[in-house]
Amino acid sequence: MSPDVVEEKEEESNALVWLTGFALLAAMIAIFIYVPTERKEGLIQRIMYFHVPCAWLSFFAFFVVFICSILFLWKKDREWDIYAHASAEIGVVFCSLVLITGPIWARPVWGAWWVWDARLTSTLILWIIYVSYLMLRAQSDAGSMRARYAAVLGIVGFLNIPFIHFSVLWWRTFHPQSKVITNEGIGKGMDPSMLATLGISLCAFTLLYFLLMGERVRQEKLKDEIDRLKREKLYSS
Amino acid sequence: MHNLGFLFAANVFVWGGIIYYVYTLKQRNRALEKDLDLLKETLSKEG
Amino acid sequence: MNLFLSQIAAIVWKDFVTELKTRELFSAMFIFALLVMLIFIFSVNLSIVKASEVGPGILWVAFLFSGTLGLNRSFVLEKENGCLMGLMLVPADRTVIYFGKLISNFVFLTIMELFILPLFMIFFNIDLIEHLLPLLLVIFLGTLGFCALGTLLSSLASNLKTREIMLPILLYPLLVPIVIGVVRMTGQILAGEPLSEMMNWIGLTASFDIIYIGVSIMTIDHILEE
Repeated sequence: MSPDVVEEKEEESNALVWLTGFALLAAMIAIFIYVPTERKEGLIQRIMYFHVPCAWLSFFAFFVVFICSILFLWKKDREWDIYAHASAEIGVVFCSLVLITGPIWARPVWGAWWVWDARLTSTLILWIIYVSYLMLRAQSDAGSMRARYAAVLGIVGFLNIPFIHFSVLWWRTFHPQSKVITNEGIGKGMDPSMLATLGISLCAFTLLYFLLMGERVRQEKLKDEIDRLKREKLYSS
Repeated sequence: MHNLGFLFAANVFVWGGIIYYVYTLKQRNRALEKDLDLLKETLSKEG
Repeated sequence: MNLFLSQIAAIVWKDFVTELKTRELFSAMFIFALLVMLIFIFSVNLSIVKASEVGPGILWVAFLFSGTLGLNRSFVLEKENGCLMGLMLVPADRTVIYFGKLISNFVFLTIMELFILPLFMIFFNIDLIEHLLPLLLVIFLGTLGFCALGTLLSSLASNLKTREIMLPILLYPLLVPIVIGVVRMTGQILAGEPLSEMMNWIGLTASFDIIYIGVSIMTIDHILEE
């Protein structure tokens, strides 16, 4: 990489940092100052403005894992493997946050920390699937074998989601129905100010995803670079 | 107002979790960069 | 096509001959399934809980646990003496290995299940004979799904250092939909409901089987690649 390109990249990532910081700040202001308190659930309903974006971010991250896994098996390019790995880790982090904030919301509203409701159960299973994906990566040595196996698991795991969804849905469900997209159309079930707040929050978290991806991908690349230098220069002589 | 504690706890977990994750990422990247610089330095001395 | 089938048959035949000579896997699976059932019977108070309500769950947990034993064995056995390398050197498609292993796993597990069913009937005092046909259909769908995904992941896990630990960790979360499905269906069948009442579950498990066999065919090349 020539120094010019590095500088350009640095500038780009700096812009992303500022943009994400600004968006998160805007989201905070919207969540705590601007948006009116929900009548039935009270103050606690404000958790929803992080809970839903975290869930969105983790599902999006798992979808990226799926796409990158397919692309890896097709092209056999290490780049896609790095993206899949980074995305899976970020997905697991945010899925954990979903699983933590969920019960905190449920305790005052439903009166129980955990209910075996459809969405809770499927999120939990999803979390376990991707934790096992990361375990598989941690268990095997770096190289083409690890990348191929992880890619297969990334595909198999994502294809499981519709099955989990329907099986758990027919099993039982209590979760509050999605208010953003209802039968009447998009956004009818909510106050416009709430919808705006949720929108800002979603944007902020999506930006955060790309920021984290950049950092995580850089980490893998640095590791690769160190490995390459060691192999070429230190061990050969 | 009785749910303030729960709201506070949720916020602590979300922001604490995100900040902690970003912090560990930065930390690891910095350590790796240091390693890489060190490696390059030793290699250039030898070579 | 004929060649493909005869190649698969050769692998299945090889597995059967090995099993008939050593007799180590089948007896282990059977005793293990029996033990799992016994442990559940001791841990659940059957005088309080209705046997027909907990029975299906216990039956399937026993099937899955002992099935995992068989899956762990199926590729590790090949690994031990370098037989997998030999299999891969055979001038045949990699899907042949997958299908051969899938069929032998499936047949072993089904035979074991057929031996367990009468014991289940005796222990839980549930009359299975009048519901036998729908029950066999459910067992077929569930076992096929389990083996389709299990064979793929067992071929993957056999190359890891910690294969016995990783296989269940990778496999069980992915099996959740099919486990919920078959336990539900078994419960409904034992309650005397007709199959037409549970078409959604049958559709779910059948499409699970088909999709995962399809995915395995597409990805097995990338796993069995040295």
